[in-house]
Amino acid sequence: MHPILTNRVRTALYFASWIPVTALLTAVVTRGGQMPLTEAAVMLVPMCVLYAFVCQASWYLCQTLPLREGQTVRLLGTHATAAVVSSAAWVGIGFLWAFLAGPSFQFDGIVDRYLAQLPILFFSGVLLFLLAVAFNYLLITFEVGQRAEQKALEMQVLAREAELKALRAQIDPHFLFNSLNSINALIMADPAAARRMCVLLADFLRGCLKLGSAERISLGEEIQLAEHYLGIEKVRLGARLAVESEIDEECRNCGVPPLILQPLIENAITHGIAPMLEGGVIRIEARHHGALMKIVVENPFEKNGTKHGAGVGINNVKMRLANLFNGEARLDVDETGGRFRIELQLPCDES
Amino acid sequence: MMRVAIVDDEELARKVLREYLGAFGDVEIVAECANGFEAVKAVTDLKPELLLLDIQMPRLDGFEVLELIGREVGVVFVTAYDKYALRAFEVHAVDYLLKPFSSDRLRQALDRARDRIQARQLLPIEDLTASARPPGGRVERVLIRDGANVHVLPVGKIDYAEAQDDYVCFRSEGKRYLKQQTLSDAEAVLDPSQFVRIHRSYILNIERLAKLELYAKDSHAAILRDGTRLPVSRSGYARLTSVLR
Repeated sequence: MHPILTNRVRTALYFASWIPVTALLTAVVTRGGQMPLTEAAVMLVPMCVLYAFVCQASWYLCQTLPLREGQTVRLLGTHATAAVVSSAAWVGIGFLWAFLAGPSFQFDGIVDRYLAQLPILFFSGVLLFLLAVAFNYLLITFEVGQRAEQKALEMQVLAREAELKALRAQIDPHFLFNSLNSINALIMADPAAARRMCVLLADFLRGCLKLGSAERISLGEEIQLAEHYLGIEKVRLGARLAVESEIDEECRNCGVPPLILQPLIENAITHGIAPMLEGGVIRIEARHHGALMKIVVENPFEKNGTKHGAGVGINNVKMRLANLFNGEARLDVDETGGRFRIELQLPCDES
Repeated sequence: MMRVAIVDDEELARKVLREYLGAFGDVEIVAECANGFEAVKAVTDLKPELLLLDIQMPRLDGFEVLELIGREVGVVFVTAYDKYALRAFEVHAVDYLLKPFSSDRLRQALDRARDRIQARQLLPIEDLTASARPPGGRVERVLIRDGANVHVLPVGKIDYAEAQDDYVCFRSEGKRYLKQQTLSDAEAVLDPSQFVRIHRSYILNIERLAKLELYAKDSHAAILRDGTRLPVSRSGYARLTSVLR
């Protein structure tokens, strides 16, 4: 599609840009009284309107002859020929117009005066055509660049989504192997506990597989998954891990994206409790506030520890929220007073 | 009898090792440590021949323990999963145990470790700790061993480091800490945008710099905020100005 003539604003701007051109050409042919002003206007206004269209038609030519290296001669030749032919046809039509319109406007001798201006008009015509060609190439290059940029952006968004999908289905290998090691230890010492741990681990893995592929799950399901996870980690970390949770009953039915809470809880363990010698308490809170739901995950952390603060998990959750809720959800991190606190605000749609 | 110390922060992980080792008969467990500090103390006081050392532990991880005491004792690494650690072990052909492991696998690791100890083969400690760090990772703290105790210096609290024979002396909050290390090794692990080698014998934390004085032709002195003067060599001056710019 023609980039200018198919857009009203651009068309108007384009024709407006011909007003000074028309004025300039009028000034040129009236210089030193060679042509009276009214006569020049009667000649040049229709001629310029016509030529504005002719010059725009050069866009189709540019489109079929894209700028490529090694074709400069062919390109220049074609456009120069097109410019000469167009300009010749243009001044020819001008001549016809002078011949036909001269008598009805009672401009005596207009044909001779026009013929005297013919060379300069022809030269201007060639120049204007070539200018339009250059302008069209600029426009084409710009549009190609813009399209490529947009495409790259779309690709980036797609890649990110795929990455996040893969991530949320992923189970931390450190967690998995440590859990197996705990079971291995319990088999001799406490077979009943080993069996309980096997069931917990199976429930957690099944939950991840099932929930990871769903679009929306209830917060209740997400919390239950977190409870399985924390149950397993309690066996491993022993007295170092304590959990407190306060969940409003009406929140449990709210729909959430699957595994949105899980990375935050994992973060609280791996970057909070596990690096601490004496461990600590993880607090989980979910509150209903009108149409919103507020979820808080809070844990202590070691200030000069080997690992601290936020892992990649939190950034992924942040990005998923931005993608899924278009700015209606937020995640805030607060690290004051030796406690790491994540506050999640989501719209609550009960399902 | 081989004298072994178990170092793991998880009670259940220690339990498995205790159970396996107990059945071997030629191994004596001299210490069970729940963290790196206890490990340093146990090595100083009890002189075990071998540590079974977990990588991911609170406060001091396995590599930091190795850096502090690895020259005095044989080490077998134990880990569940750690991307960087596993790669470091592969690169340097170091034996390690992956949790959960069988009793046979532990036996094999102990035998290999015994051979290494008898052949007086030491682990490539510096290379191993360097390649176990995430790419581009710099240390955030410097560990100093003082007998059975360990001091942890966050790098932000270090004013400067000075070479002293076979040691590096770190100055932090008015105190001096000696660490057996070369100044170049210290330089390599510190963030070069914050710590600059201003002289053959000095590395300066540029946040402590108050001003630079021309001292003689071609040589400067760095005046720190607390008034300490440190010499700055010609090449040190060039490095300093390029970082400060």
